[in-house]
Amino acid sequence: MKLQRSNRTLQNAMLTLSMAFSSFAMAQAPAAPPAAAIPPTWAQGRTAEQAALNLVPHPPGITALPAGDIPTDKLKVPAGFKVELWATGMPNARSMTQSPKGTLFVGTRFPGNVYAVVEKDGKREVKTIAKGLHRPNGVVFKDGALYVAELSRIIRYDNIEANLDNPPAPVVVFDALPKDEPHGWKFMKLSPDGNYLYFQIGTPANIVVQPVTHATIVRLNLKTNILETVAHGVRNSVGMDFHPVTKELWFTNNARDWVNDDLPNDTLHRVTRKGMNFGYPFCHQGDLLDPEFGKGRSCDEFDKPVLKIGPHVAALGMRFYTGKQFPAEYTNNIFIAEHGSWNRTKKSGFEVVRVVLDNKGNVTKKEVFVSGWLQGDDFWGRPADVHVMKDGSMLVSDAVAGAIFRISHSK
Amino acid sequence: MLTRVSKAIQGMAFFLILLSGIPASAAPDAVAGKDKAQLCAACHGEKGVATIPGMPHLAAQPQLSIFYQLVQFRDQRRKGGGMEAIASTLSEQDMRDIAAHYAAQPAPAPQAGGDAAKIVRGQQIAQQQYCSSCHGAQLQGQKHVPRLSGQSTEYFVAQLRNLRSGARADMDGTMASAARSLTDEEIEAMAVYARSLP
Repeated sequence: MKLQRSNRTLQNAMLTLSMAFSSFAMAQAPAAPPAAAIPPTWAQGRTAEQAALNLVPHPPGITALPAGDIPTDKLKVPAGFKVELWATGMPNARSMTQSPKGTLFVGTRFPGNVYAVVEKDGKREVKTIAKGLHRPNGVVFKDGALYVAELSRIIRYDNIEANLDNPPAPVVVFDALPKDEPHGWKFMKLSPDGNYLYFQIGTPANIVVQPVTHATIVRLNLKTNILETVAHGVRNSVGMDFHPVTKELWFTNNARDWVNDDLPNDTLHRVTRKGMNFGYPFCHQGDLLDPEFGKGRSCDEFDKPVLKIGPHVAALGMRFYTGKQFPAEYTNNIFIAEHGSWNRTKKSGFEVVRVVLDNKGNVTKKEVFVSGWLQGDDFWGRPADVHVMKDGSMLVSDAVAGAIFRISHSK
Repeated sequence: MLTRVSKAIQGMAFFLILLSGIPASAAPDAVAGKDKAQLCAACHGEKGVATIPGMPHLAAQPQLSIFYQLVQFRDQRRKGGGMEAIASTLSEQDMRDIAAHYAAQPAPAPQAGGDAAKIVRGQQIAQQQYCSSCHGAQLQGQKHVPRLSGQSTEYFVAQLRNLRSGARADMDGTMASAARSLTDEEIEAMAVYARSLP
């Protein structure tokens, strides 16, 4: 053991030495250009031709549109359904969760706020219950407490509903998480048995061979505070839910940027056993080897998605429909909020889609459920998450309009 | 290859349409903004060219970039120059209007006559650091990303140092990670380069 260690030390020393020599050599060579820095995450993996397209990420949502300026009438739903503006004034409203008493909690990525929407005396009121958090995107409600997933830690606000106007200081639940900004914000979901918090640790770049800790879905055991890896090779999942019957975990995944306008697809996944590997960075969408990292690999090494959702659509929040209000054929369907593309010459996404499964869990249909955020090539809002209410209606959060819409059905 | 190029041209066209047609909920009004910007002029200049050293030039900044900074000052996510207090008195419509006023002003005059070696060095570092990926080929800014060309060198240096130290938080970590490895000398060279650009 000791010998091995000193051996390794020696190796390290030699490595350092040789590195020092090579950098010395580089410094001596006048013709060698200085090493380039790392491009911003979003620009990574882009070809020169793609760079010429001037496609850059959309400005983040940091304000809320005034209620009167939100064009709710532009949103289209199938016959029999109705859309209404449900709550406004929440800059960057993203992930949603609801308490048994009905308080809706909403996380954000950019402003660092967490909101609570309460109904009081027949009126709906939005309260900002936390400010200045670091990318508090994930929200879970359990036993009277609100759990918030920040970029690198999970915190908890106890007895929150009795203290919405003066929330207690949060308790830190778990903070041994990576601090990388790229794909560091988290979607969080409570397991059906209430014992685990599931969330993702996204890859720290667009396309890179990630550390083993990253590009995973993990779960935190709330009794032991031990973190376990559930799935590998998941670039960045910002939406997950448990099947209402089988209790299996399903999740959406954001595939790598660039490649081309039509590849790769964002995907929908089903976790049938622990430790599955869905291929990132080597294989995307189950059948596309990465142009760079896929060399010498095969997609057969990896587990497959159940559905290709669409290229660059940014498939974020997803839920199974467990309500009774929508027609019977909607029972246990999956709804996915597509945040909308940026690295694509023709925009895609900016919709909520419906995915129908047969009773074995195979996808039989995917169709648009809500559209209209995209008008021509301009968008006025970006859906981020969906949530099924107790009355069977569905909420859709919009991170650019800073608002929440409600979709209901009447016979 | 040909289809790719034509696709690229199409893409450019889409991008241009997007730039020209962003639907603003309440359209920014540069004329109203001129009146509302009277308080700003004391430090930033009536036409957005500051005369006080270290104060940022606002002239020709993308409208959205000024608006985004004002919102961040209001929300105390960015601090400095007493801007938090000033921004807290403004409505978002005020911010949009003021931003539109300054965005419509002619860019500050470039100072190309500076230290030529420093300008070359600054350009080289800016290229290595991929500044143009977000700030544009001439560092002219786009959307919510600020214009750096023609900017005050003192301001440029102070901001990059603050981003490097974490004293100034950026929107999504991109600038913190870009600034992390920069030396003071490199920051200064880039500032001189940016100042030289029209």
